[in-house]
Amino acid sequence: MESFIAALMNSLALGMLLFLIAIGLNIIFGVLNIINFAHGALYMLGAYITYTVAVLTGVSFWIALFAAPLIVAAIAVVIERVMLHRIYDRPITDSLLLTFALLLIIDETVRWIWGSTIHVVDPPVSLSGTVRLLGVQQPIYGLFVIAMGLIVGLGLWGFFSGTRAGKVMRAAAIDRKMSRLVGIDVPLVFTGVFALGAGIAGFGGAIAAPIRAISPAMGGNIIVESFIVVVIGGLGSFPGAFLGALVLGAINGFGSRYLPDLNLVMPFLGMALVLLLKPHGLMGRSTS
Amino acid sequence: MSIRITKPLGAALVGAGMTLSATASAQEPIQIGAIYILSGVGSTYGEFAQNGANLAIDEINEDGGVLDRPLEITFEDSQLEAQTAIQAMRKLVYQDGVDVLMGLDSSGVATGVVPVVPEVETPFIITHAATPDATGKLCNQWTYRNSVNIPQNIKGAAIMAEESGANSWTTVGPDYAFGHQSWEYFQRYLGELNPDATFSDEPSFPAFGTEDFTPFINTVMSAQPDGVFLSIWGSDLVNFTRQANDLGFFDEDFEVLMSLGAATEVLSALGEQMPTGITVGTRYWYGAYDNEMNKAFVEAYRERHETPPSYNAQNAYSAVYAYKAAIEKAGEVDKVAIRDALKGMSYQAPMGEVRFREGDNQALVAPTYGTTAEDPDSELRMLDPQRTFAAEDVTPPLSETGCNLGG
Repeated sequence: MESFIAALMNSLALGMLLFLIAIGLNIIFGVLNIINFAHGALYMLGAYITYTVAVLTGVSFWIALFAAPLIVAAIAVVIERVMLHRIYDRPITDSLLLTFALLLIIDETVRWIWGSTIHVVDPPVSLSGTVRLLGVQQPIYGLFVIAMGLIVGLGLWGFFSGTRAGKVMRAAAIDRKMSRLVGIDVPLVFTGVFALGAGIAGFGGAIAAPIRAISPAMGGNIIVESFIVVVIGGLGSFPGAFLGALVLGAINGFGSRYLPDLNLVMPFLGMALVLLLKPHGLMGRSTS
Repeated sequence: MSIRITKPLGAALVGAGMTLSATASAQEPIQIGAIYILSGVGSTYGEFAQNGANLAIDEINEDGGVLDRPLEITFEDSQLEAQTAIQAMRKLVYQDGVDVLMGLDSSGVATGVVPVVPEVETPFIITHAATPDATGKLCNQWTYRNSVNIPQNIKGAAIMAEESGANSWTTVGPDYAFGHQSWEYFQRYLGELNPDATFSDEPSFPAFGTEDFTPFINTVMSAQPDGVFLSIWGSDLVNFTRQANDLGFFDEDFEVLMSLGAATEVLSALGEQMPTGITVGTRYWYGAYDNEMNKAFVEAYRERHETPPSYNAQNAYSAVYAYKAAIEKAGEVDKVAIRDALKGMSYQAPMGEVRFREGDNQALVAPTYGTTAEDPDSELRMLDPQRTFAAEDVTPPLSETGCNLGG
């Protein structure tokens, strides 16, 4: 029972971190129709900025937690204005190539600025150590990750369903032409959406910084997992990203604990199974 | 096809160059080609190798070069892919015309590259990749290795494990050849030293690049073995150690033995988060060798990079000096002459005197193991006590390597 609870809490923490990465990927796809290969690199950038703010300049982890997403979002605005906005009407392969190039550029820039060595960020004292919960020792930081995932998830849900800006973004996603006709500044909305998605990825990087080794290409693994989340949950679906992240978190958390021999293939088996049963993902709508 | 065209053309150009500047040709640099991971995951290792090789080359050139000729080096990125590394090797040989080759971080890449080395007819010193196959079943007369390999590294681990008195062992290692081979050798060597030793039939092999090791840490903690052998390395080991700290893994009642835990990149990153009192190993420890060359090397490296040299930096530094020794022994840079000069050759390195064993071209070198301890003078954990093995105690006999190039 104890090992079950340990695996459950671990799965939730893993899932919530994945959700923070995958949701931004999904929002960008949902509105801009771009599969952003560079999303993992933006997550990495968030972690490096956190390292810079919290360790190099010694300001504070809590400030970094705000600074990282804002800086990543600002960089995203530049990227969208300079590169991405030119290719929205082109075939999706163009956006794949362009964002892949972007990934390489960000990776090399990070190596150029921060070097190749491995960096770590210590969690703030208030989030260090473990606490006994449901009969097992839980890392406090894991609980913090779960809380942050839920807060961001609820916040985004509220934003998209309850605010004018959120509704405008959804409208632009559903019908660009009609949105333009009713007076929505679609290019501005698109810039905002890309910045929002990138900012959440940067926030994910900041959250991950105290529990992950920060080194070049740290975005590589997470982007593969995020794609799996998005495919399991359904491309472009908000609740799908949440559900997909929980499913993949559980596959990793429970699978690695109870079926360690299969830990390499399990995420892909899970994805294949979902696709066989629900070709559009658990929450995906049929687009045909 | 293109080779047939460029060869005579190249010869004509070289010939023309020689007649034009007969005096300058004495100064023509000796070209070294180096292949390391220079981007993405593992680029730390490429950077260390560059630091080490460049330092050696600068020292040698300041000293007048070799045979009055300066050394020059060209680096290529293996991108952690065997095919890319093979292309890089061909480019270095056929296009850049290098005289000698060095490099390779990953065992997977080495397994792909080693069989192709005879094709390019250029001596190659492997400085990092540790798979036994490179100087074992895939060995050839052009390929040498000056660094500690898996059997040497793991024999040291097995000796430490035997002395710890722990009998039941499990492992957590990366899920590719390195992790699995490390565990196989560990079982074989410890089994020979301690017939009472038992080995878990459910060892953990998380994917290379796993970010959350919690499930695997929990598995070991609930299995409660006497000892756990860890072959995880690099940023994976950094992640593992921090998460294990959080879960109280190191406070448990079992021995922890890390075959590569004393790598400086890991110790630098972890700082005080590296637990004390655990057994860690490395393929070169900068504080383990009391000789002039090591002292000078560590000092010069610290001056340039503000950190002590890693094993990978030493290995690359040492390979450049091996070339120098081979050129001086042969009296020329001709590739066949260098290949034959390296055979059975001894040379001076920070690790002490290194000899390439005739029969498999593997250097007789050995790992250092020690217990992590606090050191008020350093932000890194130190090894105290530390123990550097003798090569003859940890190197498998030639008959076990699967290679015999003739003695």
